[in-house]
Amino acid sequence: MSLRRILATALRIVQQFSRDGRTLVLILVAPLAVLLLLNSALSGKAPEVTLGVVADATSFSPAAFSQMENQLKTIDRVHVVMIDRDKVDQDLREGKADGVLLTPQETDPPTSLVLRVEGSDPATAQRLRLIVEQAAKGFQPNAPAEPASVRTEYLYGGKEYTETDALAPYFIGLFDFLFVFLLSSVAFLRERSQGTMERVLVSPLSRSELVVGYLLGFTIFALLQALMIMFFVIGVLHIHYAGSLVLLLLVTLLLTIGAINLGIFTSVFAKNELQVIQFVPLLLVPQILLGGLFFPVRSLPVVLKQLAYLFPVTYANFALKDVMVRGFGLAGIWTDVVFLVAFAVLMVGAAVLSLGRRRAFP
Amino acid sequence: MVEPSLPPVIAEGVSKDFGSLRALREVSLSVSSSEIFGLIGPNGSGKTTLIRLLLGLGRPTRGSLRVLGGIMPDRRVSSQVGYMTQASALYSDLSVRQNLSFFGRIYGIRGKDLQERTSEVLALVDLSARTESPVNCLSGGMRQRVSLAVALLHRPKVLFLDEPTVGIDPELRLSFWTYFERLAAEGVTIIVSTHYLDEAKKCHRLALLRAGRVLAANTPRGLLEESGEAEFDEAFLYFASRREGARE
Repeated sequence: MSLRRILATALRIVQQFSRDGRTLVLILVAPLAVLLLLNSALSGKAPEVTLGVVADATSFSPAAFSQMENQLKTIDRVHVVMIDRDKVDQDLREGKADGVLLTPQETDPPTSLVLRVEGSDPATAQRLRLIVEQAAKGFQPNAPAEPASVRTEYLYGGKEYTETDALAPYFIGLFDFLFVFLLSSVAFLRERSQGTMERVLVSPLSRSELVVGYLLGFTIFALLQALMIMFFVIGVLHIHYAGSLVLLLLVTLLLTIGAINLGIFTSVFAKNELQVIQFVPLLLVPQILLGGLFFPVRSLPVVLKQLAYLFPVTYANFALKDVMVRGFGLAGIWTDVVFLVAFAVLMVGAAVLSLGRRRAFP
Repeated sequence: MVEPSLPPVIAEGVSKDFGSLRALREVSLSVSSSEIFGLIGPNGSGKTTLIRLLLGLGRPTRGSLRVLGGIMPDRRVSSQVGYMTQASALYSDLSVRQNLSFFGRIYGIRGKDLQERTSEVLALVDLSARTESPVNCLSGGMRQRVSLAVALLHRPKVLFLDEPTVGIDPELRLSFWTYFERLAAEGVTIIVSTHYLDEAKKCHRLALLRAGRVLAANTPRGLLEESGEAEFDEAFLYFASRREGARE
């Protein structure tokens, strides 16, 4: 062993790193950025919840109710809103409340409270149940002898609806985006490095034909992947599933088109496969962290929330969850679809333009 | 589109700047039909830049380029020109046939025609036996032959070869030149760049390039006579020093 040769090798490695500023920034700064994101997203431990309350029953003493309401209001990250009895499900659907506490009507025993939760996020539903059950212990409307009991009802999902059920829609979107982005980016990079891109560019094949060709080829595999995940989660994991397969494939298709073209576009800025991988923490990790998989987008800090609303994966997650858990139709997810279409169009444009850097004719 | 009287390849006063770097300076040349025209010069002399401009991969800063009557870059010309570089430019995970089929199809060649032409070009480069081999199982020399086969598949009228014989063994280099001569005899115009001076002799006419300028253009014999030297390397040095002398 020669120390000199070892040092010469080490020096060469240092020189190579210092000539590659991007890798340097990546290994030094990216972990901090990811930690920062995680920290601010995790800072509120329990999910923020909005509890609606229906308090119109005559059998119910206003004094007792306001006592409970005050108690609820003191809990951190809980908002209390008043809701009309005939608009409970509508308000839950529109996200005005995550759960509604219904006071007993004339015909009910005075101590039976009903908590009706939206149900698509198990963590939120769980927290609401705990809060309400806690509050109910000190709630003794007319008959001081027995504490009130709480019965929980679900708008979507149900008691058996678990975290896995809730996460399944996110995995479809994430896997699709991750794989399609990486594969198309690397494939395009290879076209450049092995010289086939030049050969294609001097042929009659136009830029847009090339991009659409890539799109078709990749879409086949992306849809196949989505179907595989679907059948696995429904057939093998027996995941709660309420929606339309066609809509699910539509959302996947739109996300795929965006991801392929983002891949093509970013491949221009990468000199080798390693540099493609470097885009993962930059472009993908924030989408994974903030897109709703780990924390509900609504309860993110303001800055991160606005960031999340720029990400295509967030919208795909919204749409896939609405379709799979809530069984929404196209009318229910159209805003997400519009955003995904816009993203796809933008990325196709960017991809076509990025190819033109080398060729003078269109 | 092609005017019969017009030479297939013409460059007139072509300059190309990349930022502050002047890659080509006032290059003018014209190549006749069925001619093997050599671009000879050291690395960085502008050979590749000139070929890329002739292919439409970029626009000249000044001057104009015509290929088969079209002012480059002209999309309509693309189906009639072939291109090959020292990088074999193949999809290494696909078989020889799959590569040829892809490039054939983007030139609009299909079905039986595609099969026939595939056999034809592979026979020309003596690779008929390896049609189904994946490209990454072939030797470097074989890949270069496949690369030439791809460039010939759509029967181009003009063939641009950018250092096609770099890194291949002397025997294969000889057979490549046999292919080129055969193609020229069939009416293909070939523009070939090289820095091997022994290959220069085999061109019908040559342009000597240095620092983006054409030092001289003539037949191989004409260049030797003009310089009064016996060998090309000496002739090249003669023209290079004459140019420097003229600048001072």
